[in-house]
Amino acid sequence: MAVCVAVITKENYPLYISNIPAANELKFHYTVHTSLDVVEEKLSAVGKTASDLRELYLGLLYPTEDYKVYGYVANTKVKFVIVIDSSNTSFRDNEIRSMFRKLHTAYTDVMCNPFYTPGDPIRSKTFDNVISSMMMQVC
Amino acid sequence: MLRTESTKINLMRPLGQPALACAGYRWRENYYSHQRRGGYNIGVRIIEDFLARTNVGRCHDFRETADVISKNAFKLYLGVTPTVTNWSPAGDEFSLQLDSNPLAEFVELPDNHTGLSYSSLLCGVLRGALEMVQMAVDVRIVQDTLQGDLQTELRLRFLRRIEESMPAGEE
Amino acid sequence: MEREGVRMADEALFEFLHMEVISYIFKSLEKDDSDNGKCTAKLEGMGFRVGQGLVERFTRDIPRFKDELDIMKFVCKDFWAGIFKKQVDNLRTNHQGVYVLQDNRFRLLTQISAGKQYMEHAPKFLAFTCGLVRGALSNLGVNSIVTAEVSLLPACKFQVMMQRA
Repeated sequence: MAVCVAVITKENYPLYISNIPAANELKFHYTVHTSLDVVEEKLSAVGKTASDLRELYLGLLYPTEDYKVYGYVANTKVKFVIVIDSSNTSFRDNEIRSMFRKLHTAYTDVMCNPFYTPGDPIRSKTFDNVISSMMMQVC
Repeated sequence: MLRTESTKINLMRPLGQPALACAGYRWRENYYSHQRRGGYNIGVRIIEDFLARTNVGRCHDFRETADVISKNAFKLYLGVTPTVTNWSPAGDEFSLQLDSNPLAEFVELPDNHTGLSYSSLLCGVLRGALEMVQMAVDVRIVQDTLQGDLQTELRLRFLRRIEESMPAGEE
Repeated sequence: MEREGVRMADEALFEFLHMEVISYIFKSLEKDDSDNGKCTAKLEGMGFRVGQGLVERFTRDIPRFKDELDIMKFVCKDFWAGIFKKQVDNLRTNHQGVYVLQDNRFRLLTQISAGKQYMEHAPKFLAFTCGLVRGALSNLGVNSIVTAEVSLLPACKFQVMMQRA
């Protein structure tokens, strides 16, 4: 399914990045980093146009030759990025949307763990499991 | 109960928990004694609320008490009905088994607190509430999902009936 | 209580716990002989963390906010109702970053009996909520200072002053 999933704070530093294959880490970090500019651009449009983005799901941020990068920003400005392999053409928008919902819900649960300090990197088995369920369903 | 919009109802679920959880977190230095004492004080107060709201009468035996705790009290306050099981032959000791523990729903213990018995507040609440209805009961957690067990199990042991005249109050 | 397949803790539990937390914190004060402000700050800090977490959950299913006023309306309606089972009765603003939220029957004050002799205890019962509001706003990206005042129990006013960067 997804080849990379990232959670980024409102201050633009990463709380969580997971990718397969692990060897491509640098490349994915770069891809996610680049996508943040597109996220900012889309967000700054909120409230300025009539048909503005009131939905948390931002849709396709940008496609590269190999990947499609999708974005979602919660009301608390935490950003979620999901990278999908371009060769995987069977994906519908609704499926991406529901992946983001799942991701957001998992993040919310992390925030409600009293032992988690907001802003710290996410280290949670439950969260890891949700992410790996999103990353495995392909191949 | 005031409901503003039906769509918002599902948001109300976590209300008590973060507060509970947060309290637990701050108390961790002397976690158990504080949780038990804090729980005891809550139990002492909550019993009035419980009796007023449920019309439950005096229990004839410990088995009936077990049923009321599970089907009325847990159901009312935490929205779950634990299974009453593992009775001792003498009928003075039983277990409450919870498949899921609302108190610990979002909790993951950090590496430096892996052995923490997070929900000990519950023990205090039960002990405090039962004491107000003249029952001295020992309450322990014997299984805990946070410790990797499949369920959370509270063990309640009847100690003795408390004489009515005994003064009781906050610890 | 089973609604839409989710479990809910009874709201009375929140009140009992809130009371117990206050009494615990102020009891530890007597031992340490530290000042009152320290306890209030501790309660406020707990509220802050809870507010951060709750707002993440409460805003999960609603559209993006347009502006600051939009956020404050959310705090007065959905956020308040989610925690205190009623909305704020009145919201006023000077349009310069100061908001006053008035609750004519604030849930956490209804436990204290009306009467002047109890007035001095009221601030203890408001600190957690001040933190709750500040934590929620902070997680929504707005820094603020939140204070509370009581004139006649159980009514109270929360003042939110936005801190511009």
